[in-house]
Amino acid sequence: MSKLTLAIPSKGRLMEQTTDMFARAGLVVRKVGHVRGYRGEIDGLPDIDVAYVSSGEIAAALKAGSVHLGITGEDLIRENISDAATRIRFLQALGFGFADVIVAVPACWVDVATVHDLEDIALPFRRLHGRWPRVATKYVNLTRRFFGSKGFGDYRIIESAGATEGAPAAGMAELIVDITTTGETLRANGLKILDDGIILKSQANLCASNAAAWTPEFEKICAELAAKLSASVPVKATSRV
Amino acid sequence: MTVETTRNLEALAAQAQTLMSVFTKAGYEAVAPSIIQPADVFLDVIGESLRARTYVFTDQDGAELCLRPDITVPTCRLHLERHADPATTARYCYNGPAFRFQPQGATASHPREFRQAGIERFGDKSREAAEAETVAVVVKAIEKVGLKDWTLKLGDLGLFSSVLDAADVSPNWKKRLDDAFLKPLSFRNALKDFASAARVASPGVPEELLSAVRRDEWEKSEAAVAVYLEENAIELLGTRSLADITEHLMVIAEDRQEKPLDASAIELIERYVGVTGPATTAGEKIAALLKGAKNGAGAALETYDRRLALLANAGIDLNRVTFSAEFGRTLAYYSGLVFEVNSASLEEKSPIANGGRYDGLMRAAGAQVEIPAVGAAIHSERLLAATVKGAQ
Repeated sequence: MSKLTLAIPSKGRLMEQTTDMFARAGLVVRKVGHVRGYRGEIDGLPDIDVAYVSSGEIAAALKAGSVHLGITGEDLIRENISDAATRIRFLQALGFGFADVIVAVPACWVDVATVHDLEDIALPFRRLHGRWPRVATKYVNLTRRFFGSKGFGDYRIIESAGATEGAPAAGMAELIVDITTTGETLRANGLKILDDGIILKSQANLCASNAAAWTPEFEKICAELAAKLSASVPVKATSRV
Repeated sequence: MTVETTRNLEALAAQAQTLMSVFTKAGYEAVAPSIIQPADVFLDVIGESLRARTYVFTDQDGAELCLRPDITVPTCRLHLERHADPATTARYCYNGPAFRFQPQGATASHPREFRQAGIERFGDKSREAAEAETVAVVVKAIEKVGLKDWTLKLGDLGLFSSVLDAADVSPNWKKRLDDAFLKPLSFRNALKDFASAARVASPGVPEELLSAVRRDEWEKSEAAVAVYLEENAIELLGTRSLADITEHLMVIAEDRQEKPLDASAIELIERYVGVTGPATTAGEKIAALLKGAKNGAGAALETYDRRLALLANAGIDLNRVTFSAEFGRTLAYYSGLVFEVNSASLEEKSPIANGGRYDGLMRAAGAQVEIPAVGAAIHSERLLAATVKGAQ
């Protein structure tokens, strides 16, 4: 690998926001070759190879070290890489793609406001229905780690690929772990966030893979990119180590 | 992963043959349950923490399956398939692979694929006799293979219930402490909560409802909850009914009225949890603890003594047996006696065999009622390692 590879989201809002952010930083990202292709380059930073990768797969590419850098949500990194602290460096929070990973229960559960209350109802629920309460989510690992840290294990995960907020009303699950930005969709589906139910406040990050092959030259280019992006983060989002 | 050599395999096969011959001679029928199991039963019994240790996967039809993390649950399922009446007495033994994800990475003493040889017995009415026999058969099998330096550690999850009786804890607190005992973290919290006056409800739970619900006015209470939902434009949705929600509000409200646990009860509970040592003297320690208690010693200690006597009768040297009140709290599905066999050649965290009573498991696997069940499994690779080391 002769060039530093940067993975950016290949479609959707995250791709637009990434392109905008680069533009504000004076960096024009351009596709190379066919307009439907998945390679690109940045004007002024000729040593960086841009790879357009589906946002769900950027975490996997960083984990494997097949790319040096990637722009993706912290939620996806934490969900897909169990030892993110050793494998990934969060270089710069980018101030877009905000999403909170939260625990939400039906708003009609007026008797449940915290994870402790959830624990309280799990056993009576099991006695009545013959199973533990079900949690619909695509964040299987974040859910397990969060509840584990609170000593709560009496639940059952139902993997949900989409429309997770509808699961409780549809009788597919009792509660959910999902992302929200404004809480609008939750409210529309008759759900409320637990008072201590914020698992992660996530946003898009510039991340570096520790598994990729780094040279002093790459480190220098990487620092240059991070500095340029840092200067144009809209809301002053703090970078994380 | 352990490097598989033919010699290693042959040694394991020979060892398994010896173990199985001890089991079958003792009257246990050899069975071979499926390796691929439905994940449901395991997840429902053990909970989500199991997913962290088990290879769970979805097949082409969308069914959630797993590579069996142990052979106990599969044996329960096999028993239920065979017998319309799950209370039918039966004894089974098995030898075969089981699979566990090792979060710290697979090692020789914690491999991700290992062989379990074990026994399970269902429907025995004389409880302590069945327990003592199970322990004795396992120890006999291990000795037959050639392991000499074994030690036996006992725990008893049923004893705690009697300690609560002796401490004169209110029925409400008793139920909660009993439920929480298996989860050390919530247990500590519960004990702290119950000590410091009445329970404090989460601030997010509406005070007006907590003061409105009363058990002797059930219908009025439920109506109050319904009115609250309507006034706040909250739709009732999901699996839990208005009655479920009202019931839990009532429990919270009642907890707030409950008298705090008195200091002597807490001290007794804490001192009991700390009991550990040789099994013969541990019994005396517990007896001494309970002597001063409000309701005296109770039947649990008799059970404890009877079990030890039965073990001694079965030829177990009691000098090799220790007891720990805390032991077994984090082991998934056990409900009474728990035990593990260790060897001085291996570290404590790598027991050679473990087992115990698990009356609730058959119900989780599909039976209508609880079925008396005792069993034990031997970790074949560890037994072989300990035997080889011991012989050197």
